[in-house]
Amino acid sequence: MIDESKQELLVAYILDELAPATAEKLRAEIVSDLEVRDFVRQTEDAFASLAHTVPSIEAPSAIPHRILEQERHDTQQTRTVGRSKIIWLAVSSALAALLAIACIVLSLELHRLRTKVAQVSREMFLLRQENRRITGEIEVLQQKNRLAELKIATLKAQVVAFEASTVVVVWDPNQERGLLQLDRLPPPTPGKDYQLWVIDPKIAQPVSAGVISVPNNGLIRATFQPRRPVGSVSAFAISVERSGGVPEPEGQIIFAGM
Amino acid sequence: MAISEQEPDRELEVKLIARIAKGDDAAFVELYKRFAGALYAMAQRMLTDTKEAEDALQEGFTYIWQKAGTYDPTRSSPFAWAVMITRNKAIDRLRARERIEKLREKFTEQGADRSQQDLVSANEPALRERASIVRSAVLQLPEDQREALELSFFGGLTHGEISERLGVPLGTIKARIRRGLLRLRGSLGEGP
Repeated sequence: MIDESKQELLVAYILDELAPATAEKLRAEIVSDLEVRDFVRQTEDAFASLAHTVPSIEAPSAIPHRILEQERHDTQQTRTVGRSKIIWLAVSSALAALLAIACIVLSLELHRLRTKVAQVSREMFLLRQENRRITGEIEVLQQKNRLAELKIATLKAQVVAFEASTVVVVWDPNQERGLLQLDRLPPPTPGKDYQLWVIDPKIAQPVSAGVISVPNNGLIRATFQPRRPVGSVSAFAISVERSGGVPEPEGQIIFAGM
Repeated sequence: MAISEQEPDRELEVKLIARIAKGDDAAFVELYKRFAGALYAMAQRMLTDTKEAEDALQEGFTYIWQKAGTYDPTRSSPFAWAVMITRNKAIDRLRARERIEKLREKFTEQGADRSQQDLVSANEPALRERASIVRSAVLQLPEDQREALELSFFGGLTHGEISERLGVPLGTIKARIRRGLLRLRGSLGEGP
């Protein structure tokens, strides 16, 4: 036996007045409980029977045909839309396939170009390394060449009093500069100075390379440069001149040689 | 006439719906002939507009055509199923067009005269006979129960709306509708 409150709930269900969740819960009970289902069915029948309380009216006879025609039309349209969808799908698929192929080709080309760029970069790196190596070698060779071009001359004493002394001249023809080294050279007599001369066969007079200052220990190492440009140097000489030096040699030559 | 005598018709209607579910045009037209008169009258009563009633009827039968496969004969009779569908379509229209207030007023004005109306000929003698039984059963209902039921059925009003309209507590309205339905059910031979 269904109590009154449950009956009211079921009536509210029939009248579609319940919240969706409550209706859903009740629907499950109606399916499973035969007594509840019979109550709902019979009460709904009674409620629906109220339609009979108004005089029946002849309904438009065209309605069912109109509905059937409309439904057929809708079905056909659905099929047409379906066919259109298939065509559109086919075209889309074809375009997608072409796009995919184009993407693959472009990807391969991109990969090929990237590989090529990497290869060229690698080659450039190796070439730069090779260039640096060759440049280094050239510098070494140039250095060797410069050393090879250096001229080393040992000047011989022209006076017996200076035979104990040694004089060496290293001459760089490219830079027209030289290095002079003297050992055991006695100091010049008062009012006199030793003066170095560079002899160029193309120049009439020896070219002065400066006055030599002699320290107490008699050891001298000094760089020198002729007072004017010289071409090919054929010899060097040291003379005893007036203090402070002279433009052209006047005194006795004490060392000479090449 | 006992309601059980309607059973052969009910079985036939169940079969018609089953055929409709399979796309049988003839069964659809046959079901329409059986129910359309009562449903059209109900829709006109609810909507008070011939054109709108016709549209609601068409929408109801379109739904029946499309959803015949979901009909469960163990849960409702074919007529009750068709009534609830068409009534819902009519209520949708009432609410969508905001004419419910107008209808309430007309309904109140027409209420006194309804019992005086005679049934016009229906297409189906069985339905016509059933309509006569129902009308008689409804007339036997206490006035307050009949009023609440009619406001609910034809007015599409909820329990709360009926309570507000009549100025009666909600519980009372619920009880009136429940008792009215049970009494009607008993008069129609479908239970206590």
